Amino acid sequence: MNIREMMIVALASIKSSKLRSFLTTLGIVIGIASVISVVAIGQGGRAMLLQEMEKFGTNLFILYVNYQDDETFRPSDLQLSDITIIKSMVPEVKYIAPSSYSQMKLRGSQGQKNAQIIATTADYAPIRNLTLSQGRFLSDEDESAGRQVIVIQEDTARELFGPENAVGQRVVVGNSSAMVIGVLKKDSSALDNSSRHTAYITMSFIRNITGQTWISDIWASAVSKETVATAMERSKSILERRHNAPNHYRAYSMEQEMEAATQITGIVSLVISLIAGISLLVGGIGVMNIMLVSVTERTREIGIRMALGARRQDILVQFLFESIVLCLMGGFIGTILGYGGAYVVAKLANWPPLVSWWTIIIAFLFSAGVGLFFGLYPANQAARLKPIEALRRE
Amino acid sequence: MIAVNDLRKTYDTGTITVEALRGISFNIDQGEFVAIMGASGSGKSTLMNLLGLLDVPTAGSYILNHKEVSALEEKDYARIRNQEIGFVFQTFNLLPHLTALHNVELPMMYAGIKLSARRARATMLLERVGLIDRMHHYPNELSGGQNQRVAIARAIANNPAIILADEPTGALDSITSLEVMSVFQQLNRDGATIIIVTHEESIARHAGRILRLSDGLLIADDKVEPPIDAGETLNCLRKGAISI
Repeated sequence: MNIREMMIVALASIKSSKLRSFLTTLGIVIGIASVISVVAIGQGGRAMLLQEMEKFGTNLFILYVNYQDDETFRPSDLQLSDITIIKSMVPEVKYIAPSSYSQMKLRGSQGQKNAQIIATTADYAPIRNLTLSQGRFLSDEDESAGRQVIVIQEDTARELFGPENAVGQRVVVGNSSAMVIGVLKKDSSALDNSSRHTAYITMSFIRNITGQTWISDIWASAVSKETVATAMERSKSILERRHNAPNHYRAYSMEQEMEAATQITGIVSLVISLIAGISLLVGGIGVMNIMLVSVTERTREIGIRMALGARRQDILVQFLFESIVLCLMGGFIGTILGYGGAYVVAKLANWPPLVSWWTIIIAFLFSAGVGLFFGLYPANQAARLKPIEALRRE
Repeated sequence: MIAVNDLRKTYDTGTITVEALRGISFNIDQGEFVAIMGASGSGKSTLMNLLGLLDVPTAGSYILNHKEVSALEEKDYARIRNQEIGFVFQTFNLLPHLTALHNVELPMMYAGIKLSARRARATMLLERVGLIDRMHHYPNELSGGQNQRVAIARAIANNPAIILADEPTGALDSITSLEVMSVFQQLNRDGATIIIVTHEESIARHAGRILRLSDGLLIADDKVEPPIDAGETLNCLRKGAISI
C-alpha cells in the first residue's frame, strides 16, 4: 500500500463518522488555533512596537540627572559645554542636542494655543526623526546669532494661522515675537501624542524670553544600534567626571526599553502557548481515546483485512495514518481559525498580522506529531489482534 | 497440496480446556472439491480456521504446498492468506463502507498491485460473477446472494490455489445457495481446489468428497459419485417454473 492509498483508506474511515471525527479533532483545532493566533499577535505587536520606537528616534538615548530625594535641582548639572565635549570626545555619538522644556502660549494671526516649548539645537531634528513639511529646522546660526525663530507643528500652524502658509509669519511667544521658519509634518505616532503641539526654539531665545538657562535632559543618537550602549556609557562617564559627581547621571535608551517590552511580551506569549500546549495534549488524549474506541468497534474489519492478507504492519500503519490525518485536519482548521483570529485582532489594534510560514509548518508538524504519538498505542492494539479472534468479534 | 497429520487444537479458557480437534489426518490433492461436514461443535470450523492460517494448531503437522506451516512466521501467514488462499464466509464479511468494487480490490491492494491493474481485474471478476451492474453498490444495497458473489470475487482476486468457504450458503435461501454452489463448481472446473464447511448434506453432495467430523475426530472420508451439478439443478428448476 502506498501513501496515497493509505490516505484514501484513512479519509474514507474518517468520512464514515464525520461528526465524531470533528469532535475528536476539536481539541487539536483549539490548540493549534491558539498557538497560531498568539504567535501571530505577538509578532505583529512586536513589529508595531519596533515601528513606533523607530519613529521615536533611531539609536536614540537620553541623558538625565538622577536626583535623589534629598537633593534639589541645580541648573548647572547639565551644560551646553557638556554637549560640545561629548560630541568631540565620543565618536560613537552621531547627534547630540540639549532639551529644555517649558509651557507657553503661542499667538498667531488667526488664533492662539498653549504649547509645549522645547528649546534645543539643530541636532534635535535628526535625533527624533523630525521631518518638515515646509521651511527648515533650527540651525547653528540661529543659535549663535540669537535669532528669534520658531518651528511649529502642522496642527499648531492651522490653529494659529488657518489655511495660510505659516512660514514667514510671526508668532507671539510670551512677551516676544518669533518668526516661523519651519512647519513639521504631522506625526501619526500612537505612542507620542504629547508632541502634537510641541514647538521648537533655540537655547538663546528661551534665555531671552524666560531667563531659563538650564537643560532638562540631553538627547542623542549613536552611529549604529550596536554602539548605543558604548555611546551611552561614555557620555555618562564624561558627565560624571566633568561634574565630579559619580552616579549623579543616568542614561536611558530605546533599545533597553525595547528589550524590556519584548521580554514581557515573550513571557506572555510563552504562558499562552503553554496553555495552548495543554489543550493540544488534551486534544491528543481525546484522539487516542477515540482511536481506541474505533479499534474496538472495527475489530471485525481488522479481522477481515487480516484474512485477506493484511500484515500486522499494514493494520498498524492504517490506524496510525488515520490518527495522523485526523490531527492534520485539526491542524489545518486550527491554522485557518488562528490566522483569522490574529487577523481580526490585528485589524482592531491596527497592526500588521504576521503569520510566518514557519509557524504554519511547525503547527502542521506538531499536529502530525500528536497524531503519531497518540495514535501509536491504539494502532498497536489493532495490529496485535489475532485474526481469528478479531473475525469472531461481533 | 494439503497434508494434515494428527492435527490437534485445544482451547484453554483457564477453567476448562476444550479439545476441539483430537488428532485429524487427511490429504487433499490439487483440484479437489471437498466438503467438511459435522454437527456444531464437531470441530469443522476449527479445522477450517487452521487450514486458512487464521489460527494455529496446538499440535500436529499441516503441510501446505510442501511447506510445514508451523515453521513459518507471522508475515508468511499474511502472505499465504493473501496469495494462496481465498476465504468465503457465511456472513460474507464484506467491509460495509466500501463498494463491491473496492471490496474485491482489497486483497490485491495488500498484494501491492497497482490501482489501475487491480481495478481492471476487480471489474472483470465482478463481471464473471454477474454483478457488473452492481459494482458501485455498497453491501447493504445488495441481496445476500449478491453479497456472497462479491465475496467469492474477492476470494479469487489474487488467483489463489485454494478456496476455503465456511458455511457459504448458511445465510442464503435454497435457490441462491444453488447459484453460489454453481459458482464454486465452475471455479473448481477451472482448476481451483475448493474446501467448504457445511452442515447440510444437500450442499455437501455438490463436492466430490465429504470429510465427516464428530467430536474432533474424522469419522468418515466418502467419495461422492457423481456430485450434484448445481447448474443443472438450477436449469431444471427454471424450466419447471416456466412449465408451471
